[in-house]
Amino acid sequence: MSGAAGPGAPGGTARAPLPCAARAAAALQLGGGADPARPGVAVIDLRFPRGGAADLQEIVFRNFYTAFLSVRVQRASAEGPRKWVTCLRDYRLMPSPHTEEGSQDYFSLFRHQMLCDVDQVTAVRFILRQPSPVWLHFTIEELQIYPPSQKSPQKDFPSWLSQLTPPEQPANLHGELPDPEKVSTEVQQMWVLTEVIRARQAAARIGRFDVDGCYDINLLSYT
Amino acid sequence: MAAYEKRRAAAAPAPAAGSGLGESARAGAAARGLGTEAEFLLQAGVTAMVREALLKVLEARPEEPVAFLADYFEKLVLSSPGAGGEAAAEPPGLPQRLARALWYVRLAHHSHRTAFNNNMGMAYECLSASGRRKRPGVDGRLYSELLRRICRPGAAPEDVVAALLRKIQCRDHEAVPFDVFRYGVLTCFVLLEFTAKAGTLYDVLDGGSGPADKRVCQAVLCTLEDALGASDFSVPIRYLEAGSKLGPDCLALAMDRALQERKLSVAMSREEFLKKATALFVAKVKPID
Repeated sequence: MSGAAGPGAPGGTARAPLPCAARAAAALQLGGGADPARPGVAVIDLRFPRGGAADLQEIVFRNFYTAFLSVRVQRASAEGPRKWVTCLRDYRLMPSPHTEEGSQDYFSLFRHQMLCDVDQVTAVRFILRQPSPVWLHFTIEELQIYPPSQKSPQKDFPSWLSQLTPPEQPANLHGELPDPEKVSTEVQQMWVLTEVIRARQAAARIGRFDVDGCYDINLLSYT
Repeated sequence: MAAYEKRRAAAAPAPAAGSGLGESARAGAAARGLGTEAEFLLQAGVTAMVREALLKVLEARPEEPVAFLADYFEKLVLSSPGAGGEAAAEPPGLPQRLARALWYVRLAHHSHRTAFNNNMGMAYECLSASGRRKRPGVDGRLYSELLRRICRPGAAPEDVVAALLRKIQCRDHEAVPFDVFRYGVLTCFVLLEFTAKAGTLYDVLDGGSGPADKRVCQAVLCTLEDALGASDFSVPIRYLEAGSKLGPDCLALAMDRALQERKLSVAMSREEFLKKATALFVAKVKPID
């Protein structure tokens, strides 16, 4: 799930985070004047360059005294105004808001933890809550967003491995076909016998030095 | 072996005489009890002989132990008079040595590696023991002759055997190292087994009724060749690859495709099939150099 993952190795693979621009945390304020009330909510908005959209796989960040995190995303849609959708609601980062635990940990949020689909996202909004009055300032730092792995894992597989069962099952095999099970057994044993010969090759050599049946007299010696 | 042969000859008259005048001697033997029986067995060399035979059975684990033991003792009797006794100074002739070596290498199946290698060592020793020549060792002539004899009674097609022998036999004057000897003999045995397997495969392919369809045979052989050829020796994944290629699904598809190609059905004879199949094997045998 989430936890103290190092920033250098999210997921253990070397991959590049998506380029994105995050605004500094804006604290929600009630009232104005010299001493506004702070209800303990802050908002961070994040957008992708040139109004682009991205598929999210993982969100990595370092906490700084935020107790609860909600995430909302805005997804690209063909028609109508873009809507904000909540994909994470009040996710607890600090088990007890008044104490230090979890206050500066690294967290990873994965796609499968999201409440909704996070493909083709144009903007992400992080809503931070800290109900404890002990911490005046709270935010999340080192925010990085990773796309799904570009390389499809299937690309590495040889074709025969991904098709252990042939895709085209012959609808009705020819009636006179010999029993494939038996044929397979015999052919595999023949293959094994050939492997035996390959595996138990002779390491020694006769040591022939002749070319077209003629020896150089200097190469001859008793063994 | 020679020693206990002698002892056996000496001990033989005793039981024969026992029926008549040997009554008292027998009574005496009975009085001396079990110790004497064990002693007799030891003296006559029976203990050692039976132990040796048991070891051979354990080594070879033959399917029919009785036949194996019968063969073993028969060889023991046959080889003893020539090799044993006063003839010890004179080594057995070439035909005997070849026959004995042949017997040794056939004792155990090659999958029982230790037993097979032991027997191979015995055969090599047996062939190289020669009193007339100063230096012991197996030369190419003996080695090649042994290989020919191993292959001779087999079902393997003549010219395939010849092709194999061309790859692994040595020239008459060449000294054959044990490792090459082992490899050559092993290859011959595996070829025989491969031929037997190919024969069984043909039986499956022809469905028990007449000659098999040529297209199906070709398809199966091509699949096998593909599995043998495509694999790179160093990569373990090739075992999986070969397993997948030679699985029932892939073979069924290949055969089905072959049958649908065209309607004209031509038969392939057993000889032709064996020839093509064994040629695949021989192609994979590394030649001796």
